[in-house]
Amino acid sequence: MGMGGGKGGGGRTTMSEINVTPMVDVMLVLLIIFMVTAPLIQQGVKVNLPETKATPVEATEKKVVLSIDAGKKVYIGDAEVPLEELETKLAANAKAQADKEVYLHADRDVPYGVVVEVMAAAQRAGIKNVGMITDPSTGGKASNPGNKTPTAGGAKGKSKEAKR
Amino acid sequence: MKALLLSLLLVPALVLAQAPVIEISGANFRPLPLASPAPSVQDGGDKKTAGAFDTAFTYDLTASGIFQVLDRAGFTADAKEGMTAASINFSRWADVGAESLVKVSLAQDGSSLRGEMRLFNVATGHEDLKVAKDAPANEPRKLAHALADALYRHFTREASPFLSRITYVRKAGANRDVYVADWDGMGAQALTRGGTHILPTLSPAGQVAYTSYRKNRPDIYVQSPGGEAKAVVTNGQMATGVAFSPDGRRIAYALAEGESAQIYVAAADGSGAKAITDTPYGLNTSPTWSPDGKRIAFVSNRGGSPQVYVMGADGSGVKRLTFQGNYNQTPDWSPRGDLIAFTARDERNAFDLFTVHVETGKVTRLTQDQGSNEEPTFSPNGRLIMFSTNRNGGAHLWVMTAEGNNQLPLPMEKGHWLTPDWGTAPAAK
Repeated sequence: MGMGGGKGGGGRTTMSEINVTPMVDVMLVLLIIFMVTAPLIQQGVKVNLPETKATPVEATEKKVVLSIDAGKKVYIGDAEVPLEELETKLAANAKAQADKEVYLHADRDVPYGVVVEVMAAAQRAGIKNVGMITDPSTGGKASNPGNKTPTAGGAKGKSKEAKR
Repeated sequence: MKALLLSLLLVPALVLAQAPVIEISGANFRPLPLASPAPSVQDGGDKKTAGAFDTAFTYDLTASGIFQVLDRAGFTADAKEGMTAASINFSRWADVGAESLVKVSLAQDGSSLRGEMRLFNVATGHEDLKVAKDAPANEPRKLAHALADALYRHFTREASPFLSRITYVRKAGANRDVYVADWDGMGAQALTRGGTHILPTLSPAGQVAYTSYRKNRPDIYVQSPGGEAKAVVTNGQMATGVAFSPDGRRIAYALAEGESAQIYVAAADGSGAKAITDTPYGLNTSPTWSPDGKRIAFVSNRGGSPQVYVMGADGSGVKRLTFQGNYNQTPDWSPRGDLIAFTARDERNAFDLFTVHVETGKVTRLTQDQGSNEEPTFSPNGRLIMFSTNRNGGAHLWVMTAEGNNQLPLPMEKGHWLTPDWGTAPAAK
């Protein structure tokens, strides 16, 4: 990415910018990142969810739910899967492949890097959409935690806000 | 009043008790997502036997065309999970997309191998089927075919092709020998050893008729596996393309005389032969019977190029069936009666497979741009078509659905395998 030295004729310059390419790739290739609030009946791992103000949209079908607990352990449904096997499992998962979509359910204390790693594994497995499951209890208007009906927070534009 | 109340209670109960039937044809057909984990092996069972069982069982389910057999690499369930509904974590099977789960447990007792199969509905956790079958311990593939057949019957209420037999020719050097084998081409037995033997066909009783050059000219012989070859048609210059009627009592074949070849019908032992076509300069070959035995489809060049025709089994009412292309051959009439599969040669000299609807004449293409594909033969239940193809070099036997989907090679070693014919009746078991 030619970022360094535009002026000088012969002198070498040092690159000092942060290389954002890998992160941008991940964020762009995961085409739509939308938020899903509290599809609690779809998963079996308890995590503390980030709170958002995103407007929930209805999610009608059961999707594959990936969870990351506070101990950074990754689950498909309620089955723990080592991170290094996640891509293989998702690539061979008929449901995830049919939908090309999973829900991601990460504990609020999980470092951002771990979330990105999981998203990248999903992307390599051919998943196009990752729905971020968040907790609307204090943020949004749809304040019905524990609601049996899964709802998803929409709007690509708001995903940035959710991750801050 | 009591009777009314009782019927109100009973009718829904009966409806619920009926297991779902997979509707195999039609626009809405969707293969059933089925999870089939590796069989569990009980004490006394050995891994190699279980492996052979697993390979055959998985192949049957995959090739059936009615199941989407899920990739085991995606499974998240505990490998040591039990065989009973109470010990199965169904949500994990739902997570990988399974709608049905089939579990098999194998146990070996001396020279006998026992397989217990249970089928579960993943959404409800209900055990829909429980079957146990035995086979000799050295024939795990037979056990696999029997259990796969039970599963197929459960979902379709039809016999599967898995217990049926096929015959084919193996070309090795200058020799062409006739074999009979299980439906997947495995467990083959040679009927002939050396020489030229071609175009075999299976009778409903398991005999094989074929054209042989034993006496340096093509005659028709009938032979049982392990039995002696018996000549049934030895007149004329060239007798080929024999086909048994569905009841096995009659044969139809083509006999060349001078510049023409005519279709003959005779008793299965060759007696009472009678020509049912009469075209002085035309060739009439490759007869195939309708499932009711009342009609025969065949190839004739009476219109200028080889095309598929249909007539009564006595030669009456000849009607041309194919009008597209200028080289259509090797027809095979579906046991369901509605379709005739055939080979057509296109302008690039490649052969491809088609079906033509007997009543409407509608032609459907089954293969395209994958080498030459020839000699289609329907499974006894009419759901699958086997054929020979050179798409991966050599000549191999492949199988696909009657709609041309799910094309798979038979699990046979590499070689030159030709002219498959699928028996009309399941092997006695």
